[in-house]
Amino acid sequence: MEDLEDNTTVFSTLRSLNNFISQRMEGMSGLTTPGSSQSSLQIQYQQRVQLEEQAGQIHSKSQLLQVEREKMQMELSHKRARIELEKAASTNARNYEREADRNQELLTRIKQYQERETEAENKLKEQMEMNKSYKKSMETMSKKLQEKESKLAEANETITILKGKISELQWNIMNQEMQMTSQDSQKQELMEQLDVQHKKWQEASQQIQTLQANQSLLAEYEQKIKDLEQKLSQQEHDALIVKNMKAELSRFPKMERELRQLREENAYFREMKENNGLLKEEVEGLQRKLERYEKVQAQLVTVELENEKLLGKLKSWEKVDQGTGLNIRTPDDLSRQIVALQQRELVLKEQNSTITNSARVLEKARQQLQEEILRVQSQLLDEKKKREQHEALVRRLQKRVLLLTKERDGMRAILESYDSELTPAEHSPQLNRRMREAEEMVQKLHAHNTELEAQLSQVLEEVGTHKQRAEMLEVEMKVLKSQECTAEQSTLITKEEVDTLRLKIEELEAERSKLEEENKTLEMKLEKLTLQGDYDPSRTKVLHFSMNPASLAKQQRREEQQQLQEECERLRELVRVLEGGGSIPGNLEGVGSFQSPQEIAELKKQVESAELKNQRLKEVFQTKIQEFRKVCYTLTGYQIDITTENQYRLTSIYAEHQGDCLLFK
Amino acid sequence: MAKQLGRDQQGITLRGSAEIVAEFFSYGINSILYQRGIYPPETFTRVQKYGLTLLVTTDPELKSYLNNVVEQMREWLYKCIVQRLVVVISSIENSEVLERWQFDIECDKTAKEESAPREKSQKAIQDEIRSVIRQITATVTFLPLLETACAFDLLIYTDKDLAVPEKWEESGPQFIANSEEVRLRSFTTTIHKVNSTVAYKKDSFP
Repeated sequence: MEDLEDNTTVFSTLRSLNNFISQRMEGMSGLTTPGSSQSSLQIQYQQRVQLEEQAGQIHSKSQLLQVEREKMQMELSHKRARIELEKAASTNARNYEREADRNQELLTRIKQYQERETEAENKLKEQMEMNKSYKKSMETMSKKLQEKESKLAEANETITILKGKISELQWNIMNQEMQMTSQDSQKQELMEQLDVQHKKWQEASQQIQTLQANQSLLAEYEQKIKDLEQKLSQQEHDALIVKNMKAELSRFPKMERELRQLREENAYFREMKENNGLLKEEVEGLQRKLERYEKVQAQLVTVELENEKLLGKLKSWEKVDQGTGLNIRTPDDLSRQIVALQQRELVLKEQNSTITNSARVLEKARQQLQEEILRVQSQLLDEKKKREQHEALVRRLQKRVLLLTKERDGMRAILESYDSELTPAEHSPQLNRRMREAEEMVQKLHAHNTELEAQLSQVLEEVGTHKQRAEMLEVEMKVLKSQECTAEQSTLITKEEVDTLRLKIEELEAERSKLEEENKTLEMKLEKLTLQGDYDPSRTKVLHFSMNPASLAKQQRREEQQQLQEECERLRELVRVLEGGGSIPGNLEGVGSFQSPQEIAELKKQVESAELKNQRLKEVFQTKIQEFRKVCYTLTGYQIDITTENQYRLTSIYAEHQGDCLLFK
Repeated sequence: MAKQLGRDQQGITLRGSAEIVAEFFSYGINSILYQRGIYPPETFTRVQKYGLTLLVTTDPELKSYLNNVVEQMREWLYKCIVQRLVVVISSIENSEVLERWQFDIECDKTAKEESAPREKSQKAIQDEIRSVIRQITATVTFLPLLETACAFDLLIYTDKDLAVPEKWEESGPQFIANSEEVRLRSFTTTIHKVNSTVAYKKDSFP
């Protein structure tokens, strides 16, 4: 359409051009004036320009059209090409698919061939293995064959050897047969000889028999001879015996005499034996005495030696006595002297100990005295202070006294002056009172004074006594010091011991206190433990009765527990069975019931009766209801039915149609 | 009565002392069982002894057990080889020891059967025993309640070299883990001296 439109525009423009040209020609021919020539030229020029422009436009448009036609042709060609390409593509795709299918087929075939190949390979391998095994077997077989061949060869050899041997043996046999024949002939000869010999032998045997018979006869005779000889010998023996007996008999009286003699000698010998025994005892005793005497002699010798020594000693002692001049003649004196010396020593030791005790006591006293001295000194100081205080008081009081006396004097003077000035009658009582008061004051002051003086004197006395005590103590101190000086010299050595002993004592006391504390704590612990029930296993043991109530109670509890567990399990089984809906087996029922079976039977009967009642009631109710409904229907003509819950249907006999009903809720 | 008077006059022999102590243990153990409620109270019956009304059990098994133990104790007291009698009260469920009544016995070994009887009147001994039993009754006020069911056991501490008789066996001392001890009165017959203590488990109050 565009082409057509473009064509129409082209044609329209061509037409317009033509028209313009025609007009122009007309115009040109029509116009000859020069005045209008310029304008006409201008107009022509403008028209030409316009025509050229229009021509250019038309040209461009024609070009456009051509281009467009070409474009369309190109597009068409493009489309045709695309279509062709698509076709080609589809064909290619189909080819491709076919190729792919072929590929897959080939692949599958390849796989199959590969599998076959692997199988073939496996078979090959197996075959190879088989081959190998066969080869091995073959080899073994060949080996065996070889062995067998070798054996065969050996056997052949042996056969040949044996054959040789056989031939030899056969040769030997031949020889031996020859020998045999020769020996047979010999044998026959020998047989003949044998017969001869046999006969001889028979004869010999006969002779032998006869000989044997003779021999036996001989033997018998010999035996008889022997017996006879024995009898002879016995008889001879008997004869001898008889002779001996006779001889003995003849000897009998002699024997009797000898017997008597022997008995006497026996008795004599017994006595002798006894005497012998006694003598032996005496001898033993004498021997012992001898030994003793010999010992005694030896002792005597030693004693004599000792005696001599003692005499020597005695002499020396006597010499000592002479030397020391202590009037010692016997050792008793010496011993007495020694005893006396020992006693003296004991006494001295006692004295020593007493002295040391007294020294200790004195030391203690000294310490005490020192303490007292200190105390006394302190007291002294106190008293000095007190005295000074008292003196100060005294001074003050004296001053006061002086002042008071002065006052008194003054007052007296005043009073006297007053008395002198005034009449005594009017003012005397007052004055007297004043006087009395003043005198009383003075007396009080005197009393106070005396008291103070008394106190002062007391204090002074006390001070004096303290001074005396101090002096005494000083004297005692001096005495003790003097004594110490004397004692120090004797106890210089022991002071060190005393110091060491004191140190030891202190240490021991400290240890003792520690040990006492430890002892107390241990005793406390022990007590506590014994209270709790502890015991010493090395000395005590704990017994109890085997059948004791605690163990019995535990056993019972265990049994109860077991029983309860068993019951529990049974009940659980029952419950499971009941939940399953099965009927109660008889044994469980019997086990699970804690009521007696009678009660269960009663309850069952009750249940059955209740169910029966229920059923009967239901039947009765049903029949009654049906009757009632029928009666209602027949009497009233209306029947009410329940269709569904909360919905009722009313039907009547007199309805026109059977299906007429009234539904209401 | 004449016998008793005779005994009073005679004094205390070794055998008599053993008899007295064994009797005391029999009644004492019964009192402890009643007071601590180890056995139900209706199984106990009243008897008069030491001038008090004491409760003894009527359960035949328990009676025979106590008689066996007391007989053995009497023999051992006569031989002076027993050192201690302990009544152990333990819970049945977990065998935990809750109370321990301990009676220590000190025996004067110089007293033999042949030696002369000692001078102490029966009445004085009875008074002492009575005070001990009264004290046992009074301890119930401060002992903690036994809430679980309990059983008791009697342990006897003897010399190591004693031959263990039939039906007896060795046992452990059955201590209480965390215990509080209270000493009670003692009594003596001049041959045997009996000290009493009670140990109970300390309540673990927060």
